[in-house]
Amino acid sequence: MRRFFYAIALCFGTIMAAQAQELQAILQTHADEIAKPSRKTVNVALEDLVASGLPTVPGFLEAWVEKSVWQSSDGQFFIGAVEDDQINLRDVDSGAETTADKSDFKQLKPNGGVRRVIGTALVQFQLSDDNLTRRTTAVASIARRPAADQLAPLLASVEGEPDPVLKARKIQLANFLSTRFADNPEDRITAINSLAKDTSVEARSVLNQILQSSSGVAPTEPEGNIARILDPMQAPDAYYAQLVEAGFAPARTGPPVIRAALEANIVAGRVGNVPLAQLGTDAARERAYAALAKEGLAPPLVTTQTRDHALGEYVFYDLYDEPNAEITAAAEAALASVEQRVAFAQAADLALDGLSLASIYFLAAIGLAITFGVMGVINMAHGEFIMMGAYTGYVVQTFIPDYTVSILVALPLAFAITFGAGVTMERLVIRHLYHRPLETLLATFGISIALQQLAKNVFGTQARPLTSPDWLDGAWVISDVIAISYIRIAIFVLALLFLALILFVLKRTRLGLEVRAVTQNPGMAASMGINPDRINMLTFGLGSGIAGIAGVAIGLYAKVTSEMGADYIVQSFMTVVVGGVGNVWGTLAGASMIGFLQKGIEWLNPSNTLAAQTYMILFIILFIQFRPKGIVALKGRAAAD
Amino acid sequence: MSMLLEVSGVSVSFDGFRAINNLSINFAPAELRAIIGPNGAGKTTFMDIVTGKTKPDEGHVIWGDKNISLLGMSESQIAREGIGRKFQKPTVFEDQTVRQNLAMALKNPRGPFAVLTHKKTAKNAARIEAIAEEIGLLDSLTRPAEELSHGQKQWLEIGMLLAQDPRLLLVDEPAAGMTVEEREKTTDILRRAAETRAVVVVEHDMEFVRRLNCKVTVLHEGSVLAEGNLDHVTSNQQVIDVYLGRSHA
Amino acid sequence: MRKSFLSENPSVLWFIAALGLFTLMVTLLSEATGAGLISTSFVKTLGKTLCLCLIAIAMDVVWGYCGILSLGHFAFFGIGGYAIGMWLMYARTEGIVLESLSGQTIPPTPQEISDAIGNQIFGVVGSSEFPLIWAFADSLVLQLLMVVLVPGLLALVFGWLAFRSRVTGVYLSILTQAMTLALSLYLFQNDSGLRGNNGLSGLQNIPGFESTPQSTIAIVFFLISAAALGAGYVFFAWIVSGKMGSVIKGIRDNEARVRFLGYHVESYKLFVFTITAVISGIAGALYYPQAGIINPGEIAPIASIYLAVWVAIGGRGRLYGAVIGAAFVSLLSSWFTGGGAPDINLGFYTIQWTDWWLVLLGVSFVAVTLLFPKGIGGLFDYLVRKQP
Repeated sequence: MRRFFYAIALCFGTIMAAQAQELQAILQTHADEIAKPSRKTVNVALEDLVASGLPTVPGFLEAWVEKSVWQSSDGQFFIGAVEDDQINLRDVDSGAETTADKSDFKQLKPNGGVRRVIGTALVQFQLSDDNLTRRTTAVASIARRPAADQLAPLLASVEGEPDPVLKARKIQLANFLSTRFADNPEDRITAINSLAKDTSVEARSVLNQILQSSSGVAPTEPEGNIARILDPMQAPDAYYAQLVEAGFAPARTGPPVIRAALEANIVAGRVGNVPLAQLGTDAARERAYAALAKEGLAPPLVTTQTRDHALGEYVFYDLYDEPNAEITAAAEAALASVEQRVAFAQAADLALDGLSLASIYFLAAIGLAITFGVMGVINMAHGEFIMMGAYTGYVVQTFIPDYTVSILVALPLAFAITFGAGVTMERLVIRHLYHRPLETLLATFGISIALQQLAKNVFGTQARPLTSPDWLDGAWVISDVIAISYIRIAIFVLALLFLALILFVLKRTRLGLEVRAVTQNPGMAASMGINPDRINMLTFGLGSGIAGIAGVAIGLYAKVTSEMGADYIVQSFMTVVVGGVGNVWGTLAGASMIGFLQKGIEWLNPSNTLAAQTYMILFIILFIQFRPKGIVALKGRAAAD
Repeated sequence: MSMLLEVSGVSVSFDGFRAINNLSINFAPAELRAIIGPNGAGKTTFMDIVTGKTKPDEGHVIWGDKNISLLGMSESQIAREGIGRKFQKPTVFEDQTVRQNLAMALKNPRGPFAVLTHKKTAKNAARIEAIAEEIGLLDSLTRPAEELSHGQKQWLEIGMLLAQDPRLLLVDEPAAGMTVEEREKTTDILRRAAETRAVVVVEHDMEFVRRLNCKVTVLHEGSVLAEGNLDHVTSNQQVIDVYLGRSHA
Repeated sequence: MRKSFLSENPSVLWFIAALGLFTLMVTLLSEATGAGLISTSFVKTLGKTLCLCLIAIAMDVVWGYCGILSLGHFAFFGIGGYAIGMWLMYARTEGIVLESLSGQTIPPTPQEISDAIGNQIFGVVGSSEFPLIWAFADSLVLQLLMVVLVPGLLALVFGWLAFRSRVTGVYLSILTQAMTLALSLYLFQNDSGLRGNNGLSGLQNIPGFESTPQSTIAIVFFLISAAALGAGYVFFAWIVSGKMGSVIKGIRDNEARVRFLGYHVESYKLFVFTITAVISGIAGALYYPQAGIINPGEIAPIASIYLAVWVAIGGRGRLYGAVIGAAFVSLLSSWFTGGGAPDINLGFYTIQWTDWWLVLLGVSFVAVTLLFPKGIGGLFDYLVRKQP
């Protein structure tokens, strides 16, 4: 037993010793290719190295790529590192270290192309490396630069992959590679078909790569896998330029060319026998040019007619790089199916965007819905209460560095501060202006500009940060297409909470009962012992306080400036008016409609959010024409005037 | 005798509450009529429907010799057709003088450009003075309406109605808040007006209705309960039950 | 008839007399035509103020008399400015382009000229093509027509939509504000065809009068503005004094009552809304050549609210109140924000009026609304009535 073990160990030992000699030996057989490699010749050496299966090969290849392989004057290869004039050498087989004078050694400097080839050979070792990070890096490098010869090693490494995640990734990547590099067209088509459900950016780019085409022009339809025949009349000038470039047609004599030719051929105040003074029209210039062309002083005139004629003579086409039509057809089909899925996913993403925008509008408008809807008071300073809330959050953060704690402190504090501001405003101003809504509008506007300027004087004009806690950073990524940031989710949740809270306050509490009583019939409510003054004050405070909290929420994802309130005020009024005044559900409906609408319009016209807002406002103006009382309209005699 | 206004089978509801329920009621070209009824009987809604402020859910409102339907016409069109309305609360234009108030109501072209180029004429002036005389405000023509007493404002409003020269006058509680003397004068004005046109008075005050001495229609829950002279309807048991019974209970 | 109207409204004559006197004084003191005590830039400021007074009386008619708190009239003002600005910019650029092309050996074709002008005007927004809305820019007469027609049509369409669905009160105010916001957002775009947020500039250079000094141009515009204000004042005074005035004041005080008198209230509102929009456009067309530049920021909703503030401070429902308010507040505003007002040192803090003017304006505006709802004009009335 023991002897047997020794025998095996000895056996291994001799094998290793034999192999140890072998790497240097293999290197020596290919000494020239290794010392002066070119992309073509290096493959021979690499094949032998890889075929040897020596464990020292990857290390050597890595060193080679990193330009740390040195050749001694007698042709031996070492892995070396320079230290001053000395060089620390490591034997490629035994790893034994020595030091020598640098001047006796020559560094191998394979060029970029060679390094890539070596890298590819290296990958198959790395794919089965013991170290997970190296395997992952290798897979990532294949994904970055996919090539035909990586498919086989990749497939080979799948079986032995211990990490399930990486294994899945390897299978996916192998699939991607198969679509392009599998030998058998059927295998490729199978792989392509399997991508028809994959909406990831990577899969789409794989399909697009298969479908890569180049455009060209020829007198007759060319051989090959034609993607499409193009109609040159769609953009005649651009296609004509292509003709000119291909040498099929003379350059276009556009107005600048004509002009230059005329200027170059002025003879005694005339060009082509046309007096200079008459050359103020295109017709006269063409006439003069034609005369020049006749005399051979200028190339012949290419008119629109000639251009169109020339375009008709040639075929413009897109030719697939992939010669196999079946494969491109399969890829087209797969891509169409993917794109459909992507469109659905985008619609879902858009809906999420709309939802979060709706939540923001809801938060911004709900306070207004209370003061405007329930009390009939129009508060142009509502936006400034939002701003006050946001600045409260900012100031709290300057005192409390922990973002989570500071937000938790800021929310109630913002409510308290804006509640106080609202009550003060109601007591000092609005109370005196009940039943004069237009004057309330103007007075609160006065407060609004004063508050805005005040904020500017205190906090300056630049935007202040209101940083969200770490756990709100990032986004919930559902797929490459659908993602929603946690802040927006938090705002959505906040909006839901507020909806619940306000419904609860209005429907289930004594205050809510009294508010509704005062809204419906102040005289009657007063005679039943409700103090309308107090109720108005509290309602206004509540509406303002909610604006403050909304301010903190909005400040988390948008910038905090003195003008931020003004950005929301018109939208907020729209929300309330569109939804239907005096109704929390109406505000919800209004916010949803405006939020989704705005996102929808932005999607139709993504380059231009200004235009989106313009169209949205126009839509709202029209909407109010047809439903002047809003989506959720109060009915009955009470609503008649 | 052809009717000036025929309301037939009209119903309207607000949020499920049936304010007017299959109401049918007619008015002759020259008559004085009082409409009474408890609160919520539909008196004001009835006037809203006739004047175009409220659109009924069903029914017909036929007007004049040509039998035009008033449904679908705007308030101002109906007013130009010759239906004048006086609101419960006196609504005169407080900022303007009595003369301006009457001049605005005077039957003349109503279009913006006609009004813009409107010229004062002796004929109009005479008409304004005649109406002012009728409502006892001849001395107050140049006074702003806000300076008038409550009763005078009521008269001014009636005067404005007369100036419109309507064929049907709908008057909502003209005597509210008036002294006894003022009421008598109001009664006189209304009765004189009713000689040449239909005058419909909605009133709570039984004394005032008695003084008008005219046909009475009792509304209840949005439809006609009884019709006839005051003594006749007040002796109707149903009327006593729903109206007097309720208000005196 | 005109005579009887004026004799019934002596205040109009007083106003015209005061305006005439003021104009004469400024003319006599200006650099171009008189003693030179008033600088050209101040003449321009005064001329601009007169235009603001003109739009203020239009606002007063629509709000103070007819009860429609429009937060959109400054948009009409801006449209008027843009309409005239298009011609000014086009004609001036055309002049420059023709001059620079005239040195070339071959005379330019119309296409070359138009391309060069387009490049000059729209280069800043990366375009050189003339948008459709510039189709009439080469004709002064047509652009002058636009000054009147575009605000008028916009007001007509918007008003028709809004009034027919009986949008009133604060709803209407918000709706007009939305219209203004939509317009300014639209103009902020680079592809709006009106040079995005660059706006139109160089409007103080009047084509055909390149050699006339600015001081002369300033006084001419000042005189035209004064004449326009005078004419506008008489026109509006005529509208609000007669039976029309009765009806529109009636609409303000009780719309339903006017309706039951047989007046088609919507037509009247539409008439007032549109005619004031047209006058606002004219005021804008006079203002911006004096200001020299117009950009979408001028049309922002806030400007229309300031207009309401002027009228409210001056006193609603009286035309001279609007004039006083606009002149007083806008001149005061440029005094404060221009650094004219001395800073106040409180020892621990220095109040710089460039920073604090808006706070003061806001607060005093609240105070006026609360304490003097009739504004400065009301005070004026009170004094005049106390005199005899």
